[in-house]
Amino acid sequence: MQLVQHERHRMGLWAISWRRSRLLFIGGFLVGLVVPSAVFADVISPYSPYDIDVANKLQPPGRTHWLGTDEFGRDVLSRIIHAARISVKVGAVAVSVGLIGGGMIGITAGYFGGPIDMVLMRFMELLFSFPAILLAIVLMAVLGTSILNAMTAIGIIFIPGFSRLARAATQEVLRQQYIEAAHTIGMTDLRLLTREILPNVITPLFVEAMAAFAYAVLLESSLSFLGLGAQPPEPSWGNMLNTGRGFMDQAPWLGIVPGMAMLIGVLGFNLLGDGLRDFFDPRLREAV
Amino acid sequence: MSGAPRAHRHGDRPPVLGIEGLSIEFAMRRGAARVVDGVTLEVWPGEIVGLIGESGSGKTMTALSVLGLLPRTAKITAGDIRLSGTSLLGLPEAQLRAIRGRDIAMIPQNPMSALNPVLRVGAQVGEPYVLHRRADWKTALAQAVRRLTDVHLPLPDERASEYPHQFSGGMQQRAMTAMAIALEPQLLVADEPTTALDVTIQAQILRLLREIREEHRTSILFITHDLGVVAETCDWVYVMYAGRILEQGSVERIFAHPGHPYTQALLRATPAAEPAQAELVSIPGTIPSPLDLPRGCRFLDRCPYRFEHCNEEPPPLAVETDHTARCWLLEAVNG
Repeated sequence: MQLVQHERHRMGLWAISWRRSRLLFIGGFLVGLVVPSAVFADVISPYSPYDIDVANKLQPPGRTHWLGTDEFGRDVLSRIIHAARISVKVGAVAVSVGLIGGGMIGITAGYFGGPIDMVLMRFMELLFSFPAILLAIVLMAVLGTSILNAMTAIGIIFIPGFSRLARAATQEVLRQQYIEAAHTIGMTDLRLLTREILPNVITPLFVEAMAAFAYAVLLESSLSFLGLGAQPPEPSWGNMLNTGRGFMDQAPWLGIVPGMAMLIGVLGFNLLGDGLRDFFDPRLREAV
Repeated sequence: MSGAPRAHRHGDRPPVLGIEGLSIEFAMRRGAARVVDGVTLEVWPGEIVGLIGESGSGKTMTALSVLGLLPRTAKITAGDIRLSGTSLLGLPEAQLRAIRGRDIAMIPQNPMSALNPVLRVGAQVGEPYVLHRRADWKTALAQAVRRLTDVHLPLPDERASEYPHQFSGGMQQRAMTAMAIALEPQLLVADEPTTALDVTIQAQILRLLREIREEHRTSILFITHDLGVVAETCDWVYVMYAGRILEQGSVERIFAHPGHPYTQALLRATPAAEPAQAELVSIPGTIPSPLDLPRGCRFLDRCPYRFEHCNEEPPPLAVETDHTARCWLLEAVNG
């Protein structure tokens, strides 16, 4: 404690908050590039992402087209911005499916234990035993190729991970004395779950949700790359990358730009997740 | 405390807590481990009753049984627990839940881990009002602040909106005490409430408990292994050893004339404040395993005065009025 106080005096509050939340700042900045682009795509894109202009195809980055044009002469910047919308939408829906589904399954299994735990967790392990991308492809084959099905498939992939985390966190919380103390004041099961357990379990789930968001962006890109996600002419970082693959020697920006966009998106959500964990944990918040 | 027998001082009213012949067993592979064996204990209105014993004597199990919170593997095999005359055994869980926190409350051993780290202290102290009185949050929070004032927490208004980790150990225990007395229960069960605290804070918490007794007429079952704490706080003492009550009586009498060799040894083993007694005495041997209890007196193996008769278990014998000990020596003395 004393050490922290000394440090605070010497370095000043700004330096302390930078040291404690630089992940939050960097992650927030990167996500701040991606999410507003997704939301305001129609307003900020200089061109329509669908307008074909064959005369100006494969233009290198320049004044009129900042990030160049693709093989049909469509503006790459506009397509990247619109693709962010799909990535964010897929991330949000998939993570919600995973978080709510996995959270409920995990907390139920952890709290009640016994046969309920046994059955639920064996089923989760069954899901977990498939490689994620393979499971996504199988689910897409069953559900059909569409961006909505891609969101559902990715969400289902996340359920086992969230459920394991929720179960472990629940069991950890159940061992704590404040659960015993809650029993001594006559608390009911439901209230115990929502008031004592959920707030203690939600932090790790939230951090996982941010990491999962990054992974969802990556998975959606992979599916689109394989032609299972967003369907052309709908732009997605994945199918843009796939197109760019064919033009690597003539028009490298067609591959580099969606690649960079994925890097920014994935890194941003990951860092933001870590930063938020530090920020929201009241045990770490004191000194900020 | 005058000379009249203890129970007569309270007229026709039943004791707040009446435990009678309570036995608790754990089913183990090697057989049943009887960790509490025929314990009879009373807590009368406004009394602070000490239940003293070393680790493994069964005192915590006795306390948990009062709240109906024994671990699932433990079974009550005999006896009865009555709260102001009403038996608690066999009550459905919902009714027990309604009693816990309202009629009986507990002060835990370790306040640091007994407070939920992610909830504000005020919300936790106010919880009993929401649970039992269906109060809205505003009322509950106002009541919580009032209780925090009762336990002399400085700046209760501001402190109520802080998190447990911002509290010192003593303040955390005051908050737990505030939560326990929230609905003015008839009985407080304090399980080693000062063990995790340093000595000066300990004294403050003990003073607080005595004050609560005076102001609210709350009865307190005080579980401890610390004789000094008992001497300072309690009116009546039960000495527990290997699942049995070996001696009981008023604090003054037990400290003046301990009747059982175990109590005598305990008193000798307590470090004195003044260094007159240079050497710290310990009791040789260890408490017997509940799976392997001696056939006669529980203290047989460690007793310096044992004789043949001790192979037969002694009943509670009178040392003086309202003071009994389970030791055959008393029969020899009393003739």
